[in-house]
Amino acid sequence: MSHTPVLELSDISKSYLDRQVLSGLSYSLAAGEYVAIMGDSGVGKSTLLNLIAGLDSPDGGEIKIDGKNLPVDDEAATILRRKYLGFIFQAFHVLPHLTLQQNVSLPLLLNHLPLDHALTMLAAVGLQGREQDFPHQLSGGELQRVAIARALVHRPRLILADEPTGNLDQDTSREILQLIRSEIKANQASAIIVTHSRLAAETADRILILDRHGLAPISLENRE
Amino acid sequence: MSQPLLTRWLLQGEWRSHRLQSIVAVLAIMFGVALGFTIHLINTAAVSEFSAATRSLSGTSDLTVRALRSTFDETLYPMLSQHEGVARASPVLEIAVGIPAKAKTVHNPALKILGLDMFRAIGITPDLLGVPAEDKPMDMLADDAVFLSPAAMEWLAVTQGDSITVSMGTRQITLRVAGGLARAHAGQRIAVMDIGAAQWRFDQIGQLSRIELKLQQGVNHTAFRETLGKELGASYLLTESQDDDARAHNMSRAYRVNLDILALVALFTGAFLIFSGQALSTIRRRSQLALLRVLGMTRRQLLRQLLLESGLLGVLGSLLGLALGYLLAAMALHHLDADLGAGFFPGLEPQLHFDPLAALLYFLLGTGVTVLGSLLPAWEAAHTHPAPALKSGSEYTVLAALRAPRLAAVCLLTGIIFAGLPPVYDLPVFGYLAIVLLLIGSMAALPYLCGLLFSTLLRALNPSKSNILYMLAVTRLSNASGLAAIALGGVLVSFSLMVAMAIMVTSFRVSVDNWLAQVLPADLYLHPIIHQDMRGLTTDEQQTITSLPDIARIDFIRSIPVTLDPTRPNITLLARPIDRNDPGLIVPLTENALSPGEIPPDTVPIWVSEAMVDLYGFKTGKQVTLPFADPSQLFIVAGVWRDYGRIFGAIQMELSDYRKLTGDDHVSDAALWIKPGATIHTAVSALKALPFGDTLEIMETGRVRAVALKQFDRSFAVTYLLELVAIGVGLMGVAASFSAQTLTRIREFGMLRHIGLSRRQIQRMLTLEGGLLAGFGIITGFLLGTGISLILIFIVNPQSFHWTMQLYVPWAWLVLMALAVLVAATLTALVASRRAASGNVIRAVREDW
Amino acid sequence: MRYLWILLGGLIFQSSLLSAPPVLAPVVPGKIFKFPDDHGAHPNFRIEWWYVTGWLETSTGDPLGFQITFFRLTTQTDKDNPSHFAPHQLIIAHAALSDPAIGKLQHDQKIARSGFDLAYARTGNTDVKLDDWTFLRTMDGHYQADIRADDFTMKLSFTPSQPLMLQGENGFSRKGPKAAQASYYYSEPHLQATGTINRQGKDMSVTGTAWLDREWSSEYLDPDAAGWDWVSTNLDNGSALMAFQIRGKDGSKIWAHAVLRDASGRVQSFTPEQVSFHPVRTWRSARTQAVYPVATRIRTGKIEWQITPLMDDQELDSRDSTRAVYWEGAITLTRDGKPAGRGYMELTGYVQPLTM
Repeated sequence: MSHTPVLELSDISKSYLDRQVLSGLSYSLAAGEYVAIMGDSGVGKSTLLNLIAGLDSPDGGEIKIDGKNLPVDDEAATILRRKYLGFIFQAFHVLPHLTLQQNVSLPLLLNHLPLDHALTMLAAVGLQGREQDFPHQLSGGELQRVAIARALVHRPRLILADEPTGNLDQDTSREILQLIRSEIKANQASAIIVTHSRLAAETADRILILDRHGLAPISLENRE
Repeated sequence: MSQPLLTRWLLQGEWRSHRLQSIVAVLAIMFGVALGFTIHLINTAAVSEFSAATRSLSGTSDLTVRALRSTFDETLYPMLSQHEGVARASPVLEIAVGIPAKAKTVHNPALKILGLDMFRAIGITPDLLGVPAEDKPMDMLADDAVFLSPAAMEWLAVTQGDSITVSMGTRQITLRVAGGLARAHAGQRIAVMDIGAAQWRFDQIGQLSRIELKLQQGVNHTAFRETLGKELGASYLLTESQDDDARAHNMSRAYRVNLDILALVALFTGAFLIFSGQALSTIRRRSQLALLRVLGMTRRQLLRQLLLESGLLGVLGSLLGLALGYLLAAMALHHLDADLGAGFFPGLEPQLHFDPLAALLYFLLGTGVTVLGSLLPAWEAAHTHPAPALKSGSEYTVLAALRAPRLAAVCLLTGIIFAGLPPVYDLPVFGYLAIVLLLIGSMAALPYLCGLLFSTLLRALNPSKSNILYMLAVTRLSNASGLAAIALGGVLVSFSLMVAMAIMVTSFRVSVDNWLAQVLPADLYLHPIIHQDMRGLTTDEQQTITSLPDIARIDFIRSIPVTLDPTRPNITLLARPIDRNDPGLIVPLTENALSPGEIPPDTVPIWVSEAMVDLYGFKTGKQVTLPFADPSQLFIVAGVWRDYGRIFGAIQMELSDYRKLTGDDHVSDAALWIKPGATIHTAVSALKALPFGDTLEIMETGRVRAVALKQFDRSFAVTYLLELVAIGVGLMGVAASFSAQTLTRIREFGMLRHIGLSRRQIQRMLTLEGGLLAGFGIITGFLLGTGISLILIFIVNPQSFHWTMQLYVPWAWLVLMALAVLVAATLTALVASRRAASGNVIRAVREDW
Repeated sequence: MRYLWILLGGLIFQSSLLSAPPVLAPVVPGKIFKFPDDHGAHPNFRIEWWYVTGWLETSTGDPLGFQITFFRLTTQTDKDNPSHFAPHQLIIAHAALSDPAIGKLQHDQKIARSGFDLAYARTGNTDVKLDDWTFLRTMDGHYQADIRADDFTMKLSFTPSQPLMLQGENGFSRKGPKAAQASYYYSEPHLQATGTINRQGKDMSVTGTAWLDREWSSEYLDPDAAGWDWVSTNLDNGSALMAFQIRGKDGSKIWAHAVLRDASGRVQSFTPEQVSFHPVRTWRSARTQAVYPVATRIRTGKIEWQITPLMDDQELDSRDSTRAVYWEGAITLTRDGKPAGRGYMELTGYVQPLTM
């Protein structure tokens, strides 16, 4: 395994209109590391994710993914994003008129990879036999399983998850969080999970708090 | 390849989810392309047929010599025949005769008879030679034999050996059908007989209609034409076949171009429907498209995907449109005439030819317009920031991009300026551009206007007293005016076009009706079976009619075709009693005419139709020469009159002047006033009892008017059809956009249900919204339509048909149509809302599409 | 091209009922010919022709056969029709050259209604015109022919060297077993021809000997007639021989006649029984498949003549215009194996059907 950090943030600042959201943020994520980011509303958690994903560009600072500078050009950023990153959203975001298999195959198609891995992934998230179902036939937990499969199917280096259990009940959340962790580890990916949920944060290797001063690791009291 | 697979999946997904919208888009394009292609096919068939038919009459002739009036003295024939440079000369006498057997069922049942010298024609127009029975070769020269083209035989229901009776003036002549023609142009109704027999049987001794010349090899055609032209003087015309083509082209050009443009407007409407459909579709799929971007689809890939989507709709719609267009053209040619009932091409049955180049053009036009219509929404979708777009509710901000008040203002202003510009090549190009600009401008202004109106309404509401549903509806329309405006575009375009056409046609029809009342003051009108009969009524016959006891007054009219310009269709000369002290009694003047004192004594006054002013520059006071009289005789334009009957121009003059100048004392028509106390019935009986009574077409004024209006309605039949299609397409657009919008708002309804609105209340709210919006669209459409109708009435019509008309608004009909559209739109909204409200609201809140 | 006569039979039968049909004069024996009037047209007879054939020699000594024919036809057109275009009279003209160097006929033809001075056949003396083709006789007996055909032009003048020759019984020439089947017929043999022929832009002066046939009639041939063989020859010794037979549809002889005038003017006539035609050699036309007896023995009384064509292919095929197909060509005449003279032979009715 290489020693290059998967993600390197150096002196990132970002403001919207007159509001400074992030300033002087630096962080380095080692390969295979699974961290959770917590923080108050509006502190810039989603902004940070968007910056890492290349969906938005910082006002200052540098973002490196797998040692490469994140390009400013949208086309180049998109190509980098589809290859190195996987996403899991609070609202699942599954295309409603594609089958589960088709949904999971999307990253493979975009990266010109063989499609058979989609079936393996669906089986891995426990949706064997449901490949030809449409999303409207699924429960919320099942939808998030599809999203997890899609996030990992093209073997990305880094998974970004934004409140992955925000729309789920507690039992389902637990299952999904276990699944996310085990699949990320099984695929040897790194991950950043942004969440309010303690339950969710606790599944990470490390927990970071995002506030005005930047990212700081904490340890929860009842952490085993 | 993985990329095509992704493309296909996404296309399939979109089709699976939005069949209705896709079908509506395809239909819109299909109708636009079909209309355009139909009109193109019919026009091409008609014009090429007319050209080919005209050309077939001249065969391989290098030059045709004819006079400006219909016939000339035959002594020109030996002169030209022996003229230096002439290899062959073929004399032709062309006569239009009436077919009495058809008089009851056919308006103006004329048959063209060509008198030919077969020995001369064989070298120039061999196709026109008669083919006699095997054992009767001398029928070619017989004076009772006539040879008919297959179309003429079919029309007259005769075969070789039968006889036909034809009429010329009050004379009836029976001819023997001796055979067919060597190679008649398909569908052309003509007859051929020996020229000597024709001159004799039809009282045209010494007269020819034209001489076809074949020049010797090596003779320079242009130089020869120039020299001969000088030798023959201004009363003869030398034409080559391309002149005839130009003439054929000019004949129906205005009509064709106007129809073509109407078809393009239909296509434009279709494009707008595509635009609104695609705009709604991309808004609805905002988060899905954003997801694709997040997952790694580049902007270009997404743009290509969206354009491909609409391109496929365009291809499908265009292909269907071509097929439907061909079908419609075939049906129209079969059931209506080549000019769709407008009467430009009598005696022809054009064949439909599939024109691959035109098909390709209309295919590209249809597809291009579709892609163009979806370009803006697709661009917007590809370039939006995916992160915010992933969140719901963001669509309300998107359409700000579509607000273009500056574009609207520029379009509207340019449109108004264009409306004031003169025609280009006799065509109201700027008039039509003005209409297009007004349409685009209004559309661009729509979100702004919509927002303005509903925010004003909202401010005027008293929140405590108003109905909550009404409040919600107005608030939504006010805050999401861009989205509302898109839904409205289709209604606006189709309704405004409908209003415009309705006002235009009504104004035209009422003007024609008034004009008919003015030009038909007498009680009875009579003429031989066909119009402009060469023989007409002799002086004896005129005397006989005049001496009938029931007749109080009789005006005889001589009507002859006259050529002023070989590339333009003939004009009509009408000679009738006109009081030069008060010409307005007979002639429907558009302005003050010259008073007798203003007419120089050595000039003859003529009164010309508006077309003469536009086409030939015959302005009041202008002194001109006319080809039917001695070239030294000067005429003065003493006034301009309105003529809806003859768009190629007409001149009226006093009958006494005409007789003095030409010595022609026959007349073509008569207008009769009945003595007080006598009845029309007895007068008609007395006329019918005359020795030549059964050869006359006697019409009461009411019937003349009815026939004229029927013809008018026939010529506008296509317009009505176009109008109906436009409305249909517009309503489909309403349906599509309402249901699409309702679906995008499914979460909103779910929320409203959660906070306590009943299903019925949501339905009512939506219906109210639909009604308010449609009402707004109808009002805007009415204003826009009125503006367009003004352009049609006061710019397009005078510029292309050379007539003016007064404005008449068909209020009752417009109100009825407005109500119909309002009801249709509201019903559509109701149906769509039912679907929306019936969904699982819990899921509606949770789900993300 | 005398075959037009055959057509006439058909034309007369089928004429429609006219209010004022043209009144035609009959052909009766005992007519006293008056010249130059009888050189002119006879419009009250149905058909009439001026028929010149002969042998020419170019300056290089090459032989050339030629034929110039003008027909005048009175149609059934109503004489009350005052139109100048009324086709009361039709003028038809044929011209052909037989050049062995070319191997087939060069020919052209025209037809027009008389009128407007573009086409006419005048009375009083020979004066016929069809556009730019003319045939004119001057008062001193010279003829001038001016023909502008598609492939050639001919300007020829003809000077009589012998008195004219009334055929049949003083110009009353029977054409069939019935007395009415007859025509007025005279010939001018041994006309001295001189003039210019232009082909492909090149003028050639020519001289030679020609034969003019003049014939007019209102009658038609026997309905059984299918065609005829006709020979007119200027003999080297100054004699003139004319012989014809009219063949029936079965190929048999319906009528025949021959006359031989010697240089001194002595005339020897032969009855139908004394005249017979015996084909020696036939030639098949590749164009029409017609088989013509191009070499023939003719027996007139005790004399036997041998006919040999200048060339085999002298078929005139105008199926694309007037539809006439016949063989008309220059021939040489031998008597008892010795060259006796040169002339023209016409063979009609060998291709079916003969219609216009």
